[in-house]
Amino acid sequence: MKNHSASPSVRAKALELSIDLEKLAADLDKRQITLDDLSPKQNTGRSQVADSLSYWDVDHSLYGDVQIQATSKIDRVASDNLSAANTVIPQVTHQDHADITAIEALRGQFKLEAKKRGVKLTGLAFYVKALAHTLKKFQKFNASLSADGQTLFLKEYVHIGIAVDTEHGLMVPVIRNVDKKGLFTIAAEIIELANKAKSRKLSADDMGGASMTISNLGGIGGTGFTPIVNPPEVAILGITRTETRPFWDGEAFVPTKFAPLDLSYDHRVINGADAARFLAELTHVLKDPRQLLV
Amino acid sequence: MEYLYMSNHAEFLVLGAGPGGYACAFRAADLGLNTVLVDPRATLGGVCLNEGCIPSKALLHSAEVIREASHMSHWGIGFEKPSINLDKLRDKKESIVTSLTSGLAGLSRRRKVKVVQGTGTFVDKNTVEIDGEEWTFDNLVISVGSAPISLPGWPDDDRIWDSRDALELREIPSHLTIVGGGIIGLEMATVYSALGSQVQVVEMGSQIAAGSDKECAAILHDALTSDGITIHTNTQVVSVNTASECIELTCDGDFTGVIEADAVIQAVGRRANGLKINAEAAGLDVMPNGVIQVDSSCRTAQPNIFAIGDVTGNPMLAHRATHQGHVAAEVASGHSAALDTDLIPSVAYTNPELAWVGLTPAQATDQGIVVKQTSFPWAASGRNLASGGGDGLTKLVYCPDTNRLLGASIVGRGAGELLSELVLAIEMGATLEDVALTVHAHPTLAETTAFAAERALGTLTDL
Repeated sequence: MKNHSASPSVRAKALELSIDLEKLAADLDKRQITLDDLSPKQNTGRSQVADSLSYWDVDHSLYGDVQIQATSKIDRVASDNLSAANTVIPQVTHQDHADITAIEALRGQFKLEAKKRGVKLTGLAFYVKALAHTLKKFQKFNASLSADGQTLFLKEYVHIGIAVDTEHGLMVPVIRNVDKKGLFTIAAEIIELANKAKSRKLSADDMGGASMTISNLGGIGGTGFTPIVNPPEVAILGITRTETRPFWDGEAFVPTKFAPLDLSYDHRVINGADAARFLAELTHVLKDPRQLLV
Repeated sequence: MEYLYMSNHAEFLVLGAGPGGYACAFRAADLGLNTVLVDPRATLGGVCLNEGCIPSKALLHSAEVIREASHMSHWGIGFEKPSINLDKLRDKKESIVTSLTSGLAGLSRRRKVKVVQGTGTFVDKNTVEIDGEEWTFDNLVISVGSAPISLPGWPDDDRIWDSRDALELREIPSHLTIVGGGIIGLEMATVYSALGSQVQVVEMGSQIAAGSDKECAAILHDALTSDGITIHTNTQVVSVNTASECIELTCDGDFTGVIEADAVIQAVGRRANGLKINAEAAGLDVMPNGVIQVDSSCRTAQPNIFAIGDVTGNPMLAHRATHQGHVAAEVASGHSAALDTDLIPSVAYTNPELAWVGLTPAQATDQGIVVKQTSFPWAASGRNLASGGGDGLTKLVYCPDTNRLLGASIVGRGAGELLSELVLAIEMGATLEDVALTVHAHPTLAETTAFAAERALGTLTDL
């Protein structure tokens, strides 16, 4: 006995389209599969974004061979979330770059210690810690707006979400109470949560409730991008690949490592000057990580 | 325009013109294949039309009328004892068969399906020999059906019939014994009992209509018994003696003793005809019971050879064969198709009829599936009582978590017709709520289906 049901015509169509109904039912988390479920263009949620679905209502096979693939549950959750964020939130992206020479030096100095503890001390751990430090100073960034826009919730805790790219789709596990944790603990938790995400083992407790999210593309590439705020948060920090650039120190050009930072924010809560100050503080802390102690 | 068959080659060759074979050939022709349909009979339609489903239904209709007329005495309406002209009845039955088989011949002409009379056997995987003549083919469908099983060790005697002989209506034996209480045996019992025979049924198993719902089978058992048919379950025939004045069957089991009969019908099942076509020559494996195994797209081990119907095993039912026939023709034409269902309805056209589909409670237990059942007794159906119907029951089997229907059994007048609603409901994934909330006309027998669903939901007001 199968867990899902589908009428004979739906089963015949699925066979014709080589769609595995058992899998589709699991992906859609549905007990009864209808004809509409077999055609991706009919997926729900899109109508909130566009008044008309007609732009997507195209028979692509007219132009060449096409493979038909159902979207996964994770993809659709992310899709709904991003669509809502992009539709509802007036977003601005503020850009800057941080001199990370000191952080790189510190990572080198901690290498032996890291080895002893069996943890890889990544640059990301520093960004997470520095972001937590900055959030403590700029409480408006550690906030959420109510759905009706009437209330602002200012958070007393600092939890940082990390966007993780997995083969199942995008997931955002959250590191709790970052302000109270040391670098090694943070680095270890990042690795643990990323592994859990990749093996689809994240629990509900591992996600949600973040102060802000970091989307780090540094390991892949790019010089900058405009990340989309992850609601109900009010800001997101994007990081792209570190570049060595000539920096005029007043006397000469010095080759310096810079990490490009992109801060997208909800303009309903945060204005441009706030964002500039926030990012200035963050780059300041990253340039001089001793600030983390004060 | 006629296709040319100069070289005795067919794009699509169908071996056997039963309900599966002709449906397959016609579908293939409709899909544009040059099609040849081969059958040893002079007429199309196979066992079903010529000596099975259709002629038996004609005789069962006569039985029904006789029975109804006699029961009207309880309503104050009396008829004389019917006079039965066996020749005329046989002619009527034959004329019904002839009108259907000649209709099929017309349908095949219209589709330009070439019909070849003869018996086909394989030469290799692209060649068959039909009565000495070789035909090559691109794709072939084996639809050679099944034949009644003869009990081993029984003597050859023209008073020992199989279902085919029984339908020939040679005579009305005053004492008839039927060995086998399955659908065919019970239908024969219904016919001959109405025509005047004293009928006894000997069944090896613990219930008649093996595989059907126990409670429904018991209702049918009682109805047949009260119509004068003697049924011995848990009983085996241990020896047969063909005396000149009668046949003596020595029985052992719940009934132990000797039954004397003027004629005996063997109705102990059918055997697939897979061993009769030299299938090994085409590289096909045939199981010892004559079955050729296929996948849901009706493919055999050879990619260009398909098999459908009784020759592919149980359930040996015409409607399954027809659906498989369409599937084979479509797959051979390059389409994706499959008989992707376990829901093959079974109907015993007895009086009352017994019909079922999907899971019975017993099968669910065997398969470790948790189910619940609900039923509505026909004694509470206005339409049933007002139509002189006897005892009956509509039973639904469903999943207790989701209320999804998983099986249905109906015993009562017209059960075979009533069942289709439930086959569709189960195919559509319907729940008890779906059935209960669907407005059924009143007063109908079909209402009992909705009542059974309502009963499980606690919304029934008719009990």
